[in-house]
Amino acid sequence: METSIGKKQKYGMVIDLDKCNGCGGCTVACAIENNVPPALEKMNKRNGITWLNISTVSNNEQFPKIESVFIPMFCQQCEKETPCMTVCPQNAVDVDPSTGIVGQVPQRCLGCRYCMTACPYHARYFNWWDPEWTEGMKQQLNPDVAPRMRGVVEKCNFCHGRLHTAKQKAAAQGSREINPADYVPACVESCPNKAITFGDLNDLTTNVSQLSKSENTFRFLSRLGTEPKVYYHSEKKWVRTMAEKSLTRSHQEGFNG
Amino acid sequence: MDKILIPRGLQRTSFWNFLLWIIPWIALLSLGIYAIYLCLAEGLFHTNMDNRFAFGIWIFLDLTVIALGAGAFFTGFLLYILHRKELKAVINSAVVIGLICYSGAILVLAVDVGQPMRAWFTFWHPNTHSMLTEVTFCLTCYLIVLLIEYVPIVLKNRQLRQIPKFLVFEFELHKLMPVLAGIGTFLSFFHQGSLGGLFGVLRGRPFAFREELGIWPSTFFLFVISAAAAGPSFIMLTTLLVEKITQKKLVKPEVYKFLGKVSGTMLIGYVLLKSIDTLIWINSTSPGNGFPAFEFYATQSFGSWILFTEIVILGLIPALILLSSRLRENRKLLFGAGFLVCSGIMLNRFVMTIQTLALPTLPFDDFLTYSPSWEEVATFLFVIAYGMLLYSFTFRYATLFPQERELSLLNGELSSQEFVESSKQKSSWQPKFILNLINKFASSKL
Amino acid sequence: MFPWVYEFHWTAFHITFLTIFFLIFAAVVATVILAVRRTQRAEQLHTMESIQWHSDFEDLSPTARICRHELSGNVQHRMCDQGFDCRSCLVHPLLVAKQTKTPMLQFEVHGFTMPPHRLYHRGHMWVQQENDGTYKVGIDDFGTRIIGKPYSVELPPVGSRLSVNGKGMLVKRSDANIRILSPIDGEVIEHGDSEKGWYLKVKADNPENVMTHLLKGDEVPNWITREMDRLQISFATSGVGATLADGGELVSDFHRHYPKADWDGILGQMFLEA
Repeated sequence: METSIGKKQKYGMVIDLDKCNGCGGCTVACAIENNVPPALEKMNKRNGITWLNISTVSNNEQFPKIESVFIPMFCQQCEKETPCMTVCPQNAVDVDPSTGIVGQVPQRCLGCRYCMTACPYHARYFNWWDPEWTEGMKQQLNPDVAPRMRGVVEKCNFCHGRLHTAKQKAAAQGSREINPADYVPACVESCPNKAITFGDLNDLTTNVSQLSKSENTFRFLSRLGTEPKVYYHSEKKWVRTMAEKSLTRSHQEGFNG
Repeated sequence: MDKILIPRGLQRTSFWNFLLWIIPWIALLSLGIYAIYLCLAEGLFHTNMDNRFAFGIWIFLDLTVIALGAGAFFTGFLLYILHRKELKAVINSAVVIGLICYSGAILVLAVDVGQPMRAWFTFWHPNTHSMLTEVTFCLTCYLIVLLIEYVPIVLKNRQLRQIPKFLVFEFELHKLMPVLAGIGTFLSFFHQGSLGGLFGVLRGRPFAFREELGIWPSTFFLFVISAAAAGPSFIMLTTLLVEKITQKKLVKPEVYKFLGKVSGTMLIGYVLLKSIDTLIWINSTSPGNGFPAFEFYATQSFGSWILFTEIVILGLIPALILLSSRLRENRKLLFGAGFLVCSGIMLNRFVMTIQTLALPTLPFDDFLTYSPSWEEVATFLFVIAYGMLLYSFTFRYATLFPQERELSLLNGELSSQEFVESSKQKSSWQPKFILNLINKFASSKL
Repeated sequence: MFPWVYEFHWTAFHITFLTIFFLIFAAVVATVILAVRRTQRAEQLHTMESIQWHSDFEDLSPTARICRHELSGNVQHRMCDQGFDCRSCLVHPLLVAKQTKTPMLQFEVHGFTMPPHRLYHRGHMWVQQENDGTYKVGIDDFGTRIIGKPYSVELPPVGSRLSVNGKGMLVKRSDANIRILSPIDGEVIEHGDSEKGWYLKVKADNPENVMTHLLKGDEVPNWITREMDRLQISFATSGVGATLADGGELVSDFHRHYPKADWDGILGQMFLEA
């Protein structure tokens, strides 16, 4: 299992919800980077593939107090008792101990979707259709990422292709450590408001590890005890309270998915 | 026409009647094959499942038919291991029903997964921590066991038994049946349990999740016991159905009462344990994860009435009926209670699969609904049609109920008595004492 | 998982899990192999006929499996569990010792000719000792009458071996084939034909122990009475409301009288073949 040499990283993210304006740039960048096929006409919100999905939640107040927040939701890279990993019958989900990234091996995936029922963040997507690209789009496919076939599950892996490229580059330069500037996931890179901070949570000097410990940073469903590595940050109290709330109350207060 | 294939001395309907009976099922089977073809060849978008509702009616029905098919292992266990000889009357039927349920469930699973051709991966690099791995191993092994148990029934067919090797092999295999029954019990115990554990381990679904070792008593053992309660009831109901359709007596009333008693005994244990589990879950497990249990029942369609129905109406009440020897005497109550037991187990499996997935987890999630597409329903109807056909053919060409011949002789005795009396002819022998004799056999435990 | 799979590593969990399941798989395979081996052994040891009979015997209805000591009135109620082979029965010698009644000799039983110097097998064959020490074997009157007129009878060739409860004869009718059980162990030395009658002459293997398991004396009339009952019940089951006594006289050719009856089923019942 130990394939890496050198110190252990724990990659994570902090998303500043106050900076996110819901432009969706990250969603598009993610899909292009990871060769996610374009949606077909017959797809809908629940069966299309969006590794990174943005939800809008409102505080449900009357004008002028009404406010809403955009929540980018994707694989939260659970560190402990990773729910999807323990349930997969044929080891198609693995957590890389050297990076902490929860990976999906589509070549091994049976498509039983047990991992999807196990994931509380609904961050896993099944290929209900055969992937289809138009001729022109085929030219733009990312050669570093293998497209997936019909009948397998896929999800965000912190742009594994980019990590791989960074490692190759480091190796070519004779280094065992990658340059942090070489490994930045597509969503982080594409965000016009710089709402997403990415890096090694184990390295106490990085922005991301400092932000993850800051006062108004929280995680969704942290009570489940899975130690997700994606943090959210907001200075607005109602957003933080909303994130802590459980089902019914939030439902009654009218938050929309 | 096919007389040479029908067991000697058993009355079966004419070949043309039989053809009329199977044609609708073949039609249904064809529809199912078309739906399966669509799902396998074009993709699972033919279903109404989606990324949020990743398990649908198929998984629910798989769990249900496997629970109902538990009669095969539990009857085998009682007959071959605990030597309850009265169950010999239904063991063949139980094996066929088990075979239908398990092979049907595995077939539907093969359609349900996205890449069925990769199923062998599970045996090649299994994740031994996954409940699903255990289910896959056990189901495969147990299906093999059921097929081997089915072989003697087929080899006893009138023409096949003419081949001495077949009959001797059948005889020798039958002598080894306790070994297979033991293995079947072991395997069933584990996969019935693991099917429950499948949901108990879902940390991300607080509605189903049971903590740490709690997974075992709360989901694993509850599923085993409930399956053992449902199995005998289902055999009771199917045998009654076959009796009604063929208008024949197939087993003695004692067998029904015994099955009911077994079902009731298992069910009362189940209801008790389920109640304890529910109380622990409401008061400790669920709030511990930050989800007060009552919130799961806040939506109208999945209110707490489901819990009440499951435990009291479809659990406690049939259990009490089946445990009372006086109430078991009443055929309507006996079969009614059996029906309630089976419905209760269906409801439990429904709650575990569909309700678990319908409930939101994230604070901004919606309560989800899902209704199956025609392809999903047709695939399930395929299993029913396939089961009906396999059962009909086995019933026609093999001996499913060893008591049938004896019971028809009993009826024959009664009608010959009537005839003798009506014709008022004095016969030189007295058939009376043999009637007493048959009655003695009918009431004695064989 | 396995040593030759990428990222292989063993844990205690793997070892337990895989051991259990491969043991189970091995046990299932071993069970089938054992059954196949036993079948082959039965073939080599020529015990297949006796196993076939035991299989038939297990399927007999309880009314057909009554012990001969119940027929003779020695015991109130007893079922045979030895496949009608009293030679291997442990209870039989005890009950014979208890026997107090003197055997009653009767030539006619309910209109059937059952000569008392013959011994009878439950599959409706009689055995008669000849002066030369051989044994003559044939179908009894009851059997002959329910078979009616066969279109062919297959007798084992001269020199072939017979064994108790193995196949003795094969009788073919247009509506049923029936095998008739051999009453004794031995070698066929002569057989009859359609003119001389269907009989076999047999040189017994073990002359001292030929007759132990055959019915004799007052067992015979009681046995025939019960067979009549079974026959009548079989008729009624197959949808023919027949009464076998026709104004007090017994019907001589059942087939001519009841052509619509399920003769296949009736003959199977009466000749103990499932």
